[in-house]
Amino acid sequence: MKLTKEEIKYIDNYLIKNKVKFWDVRLELLDHIVSAVEDKIETEGISFNEALLDVHRSFGSQFVEFGVSKTKVFDKGLYQSNIGFKKFIRNKQKELGRKQRKLYWKTFVPFIKSAKFFLEFILVLLLVFLIFQYNQKAAFVVAMIISVAPEAFKIFNGVFSKSSKKSLRVQLAFTLSSLFLSFNYFFIAGFNEVFEDQTPKPYIYGIVFYLFIFIFLRHSFNIYNKIIRENQADYKSMIS
Amino acid sequence: MSNSKLYKGSLTTIILKLLNEHDKMYGYEITQKVKALTKGELKITEGALYPALHKLEAEGLLDVEVAKVDNRLRKYYKLTETGTKETVSKLEELAEYIKTMQALVNPKLA
Repeated sequence: MKLTKEEIKYIDNYLIKNKVKFWDVRLELLDHIVSAVEDKIETEGISFNEALLDVHRSFGSQFVEFGVSKTKVFDKGLYQSNIGFKKFIRNKQKELGRKQRKLYWKTFVPFIKSAKFFLEFILVLLLVFLIFQYNQKAAFVVAMIISVAPEAFKIFNGVFSKSSKKSLRVQLAFTLSSLFLSFNYFFIAGFNEVFEDQTPKPYIYGIVFYLFIFIFLRHSFNIYNKIIRENQADYKSMIS
Repeated sequence: MSNSKLYKGSLTTIILKLLNEHDKMYGYEITQKVKALTKGELKITEGALYPALHKLEAEGLLDVEVAKVDNRLRKYYKLTETGTKETVSKLEELAEYIKTMQALVNPKLA
């Protein structure tokens, strides 16, 4: 027996109430639960509530009845323990992170060897060293802005794109560059500490550092773009 | 199922073997196929299936395809090229294991 749109919506809400907030995680759970509930109703002849309760337990989540009035026991019980879903999300997060890091390093060398990147990098070098001839500090600031600019796009996308909101894969792709960004904070702190009394400061070190970091951040932007494209395609199918 | 611990180490091989025989499968379909093939003897729980699927996906052995089915999205898993090669090697490992266990449980008298 096929579930109605309302029953599917009920299951989706049940997942949200069980703190499965990422839509890209929920879509897999929703399909599994709906398929299992439909199957159980048909083959075991049980009700929707009984079937959903069985599936709830099969994910390792408990059904707690203690201290709940009998009229509300089903609804309340379903939301009292979500340990099974918590484990599901934790595992998914771990494996998805591993998949994205693997993708990053697998495509890193081909990317930096590509003509597109070569041209882009040459243009950045020319611009920074042209400014350097006139103003070293300005060249340093430009190099810094260029290297962290993709991060600004990521923030913009995260705030304004509907498909990126509450998406686990986008959230993980966003943090892919956090290791390189943390080098940035260490560099700024170290640079100010070491050259505190020196005037003018040796901005060339900063320029070299940011041009180096640019390579890694630029590639993390590629991966982020690839992931948001896939994400948008799934989101469109979901809402259509 | 009599003893789930005995099957635990073979879960990824079972998944790979099923996907090798079918073009693509979704999570619930895998659990039902295993149940049917083993006449209910082996029931893969959701808590075991999905971590295994996500791990195989992260290792690049499985690819994912999303399609709209009955008002919801369905995630299909299929073998990658590396996954197909890995299936052959995993099945060989399993056959070797079964042979060794048989020799231990039913030793032939000289």
